[in-house]
Amino acid sequence: MIDDIRVGSLIAYCSVKRGNKKTLMFIVFVLSLIFMNLVFLPSMIGGMMVLFTGMMQDYPYGDIVIEPMDDNTYINNADSVLQKVRAVEGVRAATKRLDAGASIEHKQKVVGASITGLLPTEELEISQYPYIISEGDFLGELSRDEIIIGAMIAGTGFGSEIYDNLGEVRPGSLVDVTYSNGVKRTYKVKGIMEGSFELVDLNALVNYKEIEDVYGLEGSKATSVVVRVDKQGTEGQIKDKIREAGVNEQIFTWADKSETLIKQAMQSMGAIDTMSKFVSLIVGAALVLIIIYINVLNRKKEIGILKAVGITPRSIVLSYAFLSTFYVSLGILSGLILYFSLMFYFQANPVVFYETMEISPQIDPVLLIESIVTMLTLSVIAGILPAWSVSKESILKAIWGR
Amino acid sequence: MIIVKNLKRYYGTGKTAVRALKGVSFEIKKGEFVAIMGASGSGKTTLLRILALLDDATDGEYTIRGLEVSSLPEAERSYYRLTQVGYVFQDYALINEMSAAENVYILSMMEGKSRKESYATALEALDKVGLKDKHNRIPDELSGGEKQRVAIARAIAKKPDILFADEPCANLDTTNSKQVLDVFKELNEKYGQTIVMVTHELWHTEYVDRVITLEDGNLVSDEIKRNREE
Ligand SMILES: Nc1ncnc2c1ncn2[C@@H]1O[C@H](COP(=O)(O)OP(=O)(O)O)[C@@H](O)[C@H]1O
Ligand SMILES: [Mg+2]
Repeated sequence: MIDDIRVGSLIAYCSVKRGNKKTLMFIVFVLSLIFMNLVFLPSMIGGMMVLFTGMMQDYPYGDIVIEPMDDNTYINNADSVLQKVRAVEGVRAATKRLDAGASIEHKQKVVGASITGLLPTEELEISQYPYIISEGDFLGELSRDEIIIGAMIAGTGFGSEIYDNLGEVRPGSLVDVTYSNGVKRTYKVKGIMEGSFELVDLNALVNYKEIEDVYGLEGSKATSVVVRVDKQGTEGQIKDKIREAGVNEQIFTWADKSETLIKQAMQSMGAIDTMSKFVSLIVGAALVLIIIYINVLNRKKEIGILKAVGITPRSIVLSYAFLSTFYVSLGILSGLILYFSLMFYFQANPVVFYETMEISPQIDPVLLIESIVTMLTLSVIAGILPAWSVSKESILKAIWGR
Repeated sequence: MIIVKNLKRYYGTGKTAVRALKGVSFEIKKGEFVAIMGASGSGKTTLLRILALLDDATDGEYTIRGLEVSSLPEAERSYYRLTQVGYVFQDYALINEMSAAENVYILSMMEGKSRKESYATALEALDKVGLKDKHNRIPDELSGGEKQRVAIARAIAKKPDILFADEPCANLDTTNSKQVLDVFKELNEKYGQTIVMVTHELWHTEYVDRVITLEDGNLVSDEIKRNREE
């Protein structure tokens, strides 16, 4: 076997060293494209994931979100929860929110929306809501008869064409809000918020005390407590510490949330990704196979001669395995160079969605290693199969064709 | 050394079968230089391929040094080809991507010899055919005669029991043919190499000890030209 390996590598070495360099370059080029195909789209989708999870952190969930236990609608004593949470080391800020369903009416146009009641000054530390007011101003500490409306329902923002909206609502316009319990309130629009993202722009914001008042809640109820941490990456530990501090509600990190929520939303994306990977793999395998097969056919006579002079079929098959592993390694290498240059290009010049959302591709080492291993495995199989079938042929047939 | 009894080779079966060898018998002794002559299509190549274990006889017996080789499994035949039998093809059959030395060297390596030993063996064989100084050239950089001499070096490096050559000079001009035949003669006389060479050129028989003639798949004459004992 050792002799087979030595002889096989000598054959492979000679055929690379003295073989046609242009053919080699072409094969490597095609293989590098196959590799790119395997890793590029997933990286872009990864970039999209990061963007969406970022949105989740900046708006509804923070780094950690605490939600009511089981079937309860509310966290009962949110202030005590807040006290415990704020005492945990590594927590930067926390606040409570009350979400409610409602319909908003303006000049005979009605739109359904979810309204979040929040504490405006606390939100400065928690979310991006205060910083995405495109017209007017954010809520003040004491704002009670004022509302912030998402750009998509206001009818001014990007995406308004797709969704029902209130026509032209501007800061200063009056809107009537009917809450899910039937209570009706009239608010003056204080500002329009625009995050270029449905999760934000299809919502409205009012003061926490408004919701408390409308639903007649007492004793600091909340639908969620949103927490931000000092250092990204510590969410998991801090979640445990919050539980240890005696908070008996459901606690999620943004990653937990994105796993259930984003992954659901991205399922179709994921399916496309898997399918495209599968197709690239099949196309890749076929191409590697064809390239090596043509190569083997071209050298059928040589294989016959090698056998005729006593070289074992195993050495011959091994030489092709080495050869195709070499081709594919070079292909992967140049594919990686191509990939990283594209990655750096797109990270410096992200693809822009919805005018403001920038997607920069994510480099996923696991995916890269997976693809490299897959390509190498394929290359060994693709190299061995045709050589094996030719080396099984009789010597006479291989050399003289009959 | 070689004993062949009633050797037959049919291509195909039934009525359309080509009977290339109809039952030939002969014996070749160690150290003989034998030419196999005959018109085109008389079965020379067919016979030689069977003798060199590149092909199987349809019927008959074939022994090398008392060992019945026609019934050996392929792996053993392959090992036999590697270590005991040298074969020189009409069209050289060198590996184009390997240098002269590598073409020879690869076989020693296959036999399990070390790198150094293999290289020494290759150079020694190339020296015997007068091409030591061109060991680094690839086949494209050699003349037809030189290529054939490299092929001979490859065949003799292992010091085979028997060296077979199928019309080794068919693609060569007279000068190159003479060089190749001189190499054979020297191998035979100096090192006692047993050689069986197929040819259809009468003047080639000047170099050999014995001429076997085939006609239409039958052995029709077996003539000693020169007795080695003399
Ligand atoms: N693979 C084959 N299939 C069928 N017939 C063949 C094959 N090889 C040789 N023959 C036939 O066998 C006969 C002997 O051929 P060959 O041994 O090549 O003769 P020579 O070498 O003396 O010219 C010829 O009639 C030839 O056509
Ligand atoms: Mg012939």
